[in-house]
Amino acid sequence: MKILVTGAGGFLGTHVVERLLAHGYTDIRCFLRERSKAEPLIKLANAYPAASVELSFGNLKSKTDCRRAVENVSAVFHLAAGLKGSAAELFADSVVVSRNLLDALAAHGQEQLKATRVVLISSFGVYGVASLGQGALVDEQTPLERHPEWRDPYSHSKLRQEQLFWEYQKQAGFELVVLRPGVIYGPGGGAFSNRVGLKIGPVFFHLGGSNLLPLAYVVNCAEAIVVAGLHADSAGQAYNVHDDELPTAAQYLRAYKRDVKRIRSLRIPYFVTRLLAGRLESYHRKSEGQLPAIITRYKAAAAWGGNRFSNAKLHSLGWRPIVAAPDAMARTCAYLREHSE
Amino acid sequence: MGLKIAIAGCGKIADAHVEEIRKNHTVKLVAVCDLEPIMAEQLAVRYAIPRWYNDVAAMLEAEQPDVLHITTPPQSHLALTRQAVAAGCHVFLEKPVALRHKDAEAIIAEVVSAGKKLAVNYWPNFEAPSLELRRMFQSGVLGDPVHVESFYGYNLAGEYGTALKRDPDHWVHRMPGKLFQNVLDHVLNKITPFLTDDEPLIEATAYCGEASAANAGAPLLDELRVIIRGSRTSAYATFSSHARPVGHTLRVYGTRNTAHVDYAARTLVLERNQTFPSAVGRLFPPFLVAKDYLRQGLKNVNRFRHARFHFFDGMRQLLSEFYSSIENDSAPPIAYEEILRVSAMMERIFEQVYPEAFV
Repeated sequence: MKILVTGAGGFLGTHVVERLLAHGYTDIRCFLRERSKAEPLIKLANAYPAASVELSFGNLKSKTDCRRAVENVSAVFHLAAGLKGSAAELFADSVVVSRNLLDALAAHGQEQLKATRVVLISSFGVYGVASLGQGALVDEQTPLERHPEWRDPYSHSKLRQEQLFWEYQKQAGFELVVLRPGVIYGPGGGAFSNRVGLKIGPVFFHLGGSNLLPLAYVVNCAEAIVVAGLHADSAGQAYNVHDDELPTAAQYLRAYKRDVKRIRSLRIPYFVTRLLAGRLESYHRKSEGQLPAIITRYKAAAAWGGNRFSNAKLHSLGWRPIVAAPDAMARTCAYLREHSE
Repeated sequence: MGLKIAIAGCGKIADAHVEEIRKNHTVKLVAVCDLEPIMAEQLAVRYAIPRWYNDVAAMLEAEQPDVLHITTPPQSHLALTRQAVAAGCHVFLEKPVALRHKDAEAIIAEVVSAGKKLAVNYWPNFEAPSLELRRMFQSGVLGDPVHVESFYGYNLAGEYGTALKRDPDHWVHRMPGKLFQNVLDHVLNKITPFLTDDEPLIEATAYCGEASAANAGAPLLDELRVIIRGSRTSAYATFSSHARPVGHTLRVYGTRNTAHVDYAARTLVLERNQTFPSAVGRLFPPFLVAKDYLRQGLKNVNRFRHARFHFFDGMRQLLSEFYSSIENDSAPPIAYEEILRVSAMMERIFEQVYPEAFV
């Protein structure tokens, strides 16, 4: 079985390739945009000499490159996505490239297409959590966001991307598995999710307080993607991905200050955040956007409203975290300490 | 209802157009269009725009807009302008006007022969300090222009720059003047009002500021210096990707006074002749300049208070003048000769910097 991994050179992609190899899959096409990100994949190829790890460079914005990427594959792990930039850039990098990839797959014969397994890495951002009450449980039954345009452009683009995959799946009939990771963290990743807070100028505004952080250590997340992605019973299903022992935002920030470096932070209670968000929203409207509405009440409720999370469905497939939470945190802090400058 | 507006091209800059169009309450944005339906859809959904299309002909026929904003890459500007004027639209064009000067001439000719109006998004020239400079120059405060220095800094480490460097197929790399062509309008259109010559002497040189600025094997030239000499006025045009802070300034040396515009800080200060002699005379200038800066700062506070301090406030002003020119059938806010002079100068610069593109 030839497996395509898009975004293979990224933070998560390299780990997914490693987990696929560790699970005994031996024919992997790694599709990546930048040659400068190939080194970890070359190391993996050397570590698994019996496997075929093909490096394929290109840009999924190109339909020709997409056709080349999906040639002869029977499973696709689609990780490539825009992570930052303007809304237009995020849609171009996440949704347009997904459509190109799906069109290239759809060009396969009907029989081949039906036997193809497609695994999409979506996001927790697709859930409509703003209208849930504080402490509500977020699982796979939670409704998807009804007003993505009120959220941040990243969540909006990820929701549209996921919808696109379900639309194509209905028409083309391939096997689709959707993974929705929470906050992916680990060596090579960033230090803070917005769920912990926002750095504005020299001060870190700690907005997450005692909310649980749906952290997914990158190795555990990659393991979940491989286990769920290729499980016999997972076709047509979506799975939340996060670790078992979740810290609160405050615990995460404390660990960062203790083990990485001291930073100046100011804790803002949720009701104050809501109040300020309301003021900013109203000023933004009145001034016709003179200050950007980076925080609105809706965004605040989605990011800092405070939810509980469930990964029970993922566990039911037999997934277990490879790295326990304390060890994962220690490894992440060690990396961040080393790269804090 | 006032003018009906439509947009062709739903990339990043289209957001700014939507936001500035909406500040003009006498016009209505009726539809957007992009060849890529996902891009048209996302813009329409985010801004609650009534309708979106992926075929500009279909949009023009169904919506009958009065003005088409063309925010696509310049490769398509001529064809879209032709379609727009044929459908009875006036055109607001994102810079650069066209890939080649002859295409810019054709665009203007199409618009003029159809009896329509056109403006190019030279928005920094419509910010308050720019307008103040224009008034100052026209009223003779500066005297005759002797020399002009236009500086434009660019942050290649920013999101747009990173996207450019990552993607060797980005449309910017396919223009004859590459990166420079995407921004040089903003450098030269500040100089041309002070030059009377149609064909000044131009000497241009460009280089790659550092090895990391190379993109996917091909070096990306990211530093440009241009010397321009007219019969009575000279100019330097500088584009720099590595100077910090990323500045955007204009200095006009006149026979009476010198004006300095900082577009990032939105200030205009005047450097005057000393009237007191010797050491006493040298005491005054810093205080006079400080007073100017204080006054400019207070003006900016006032603009902020009245919600007139947006990033694209110049575009709001330019659009307001452009729409008024359509409604009143008066001259458009930017003279077509000015647009063509900028375009001609750009081409002469690119011929020197990228001669292979003009073989």
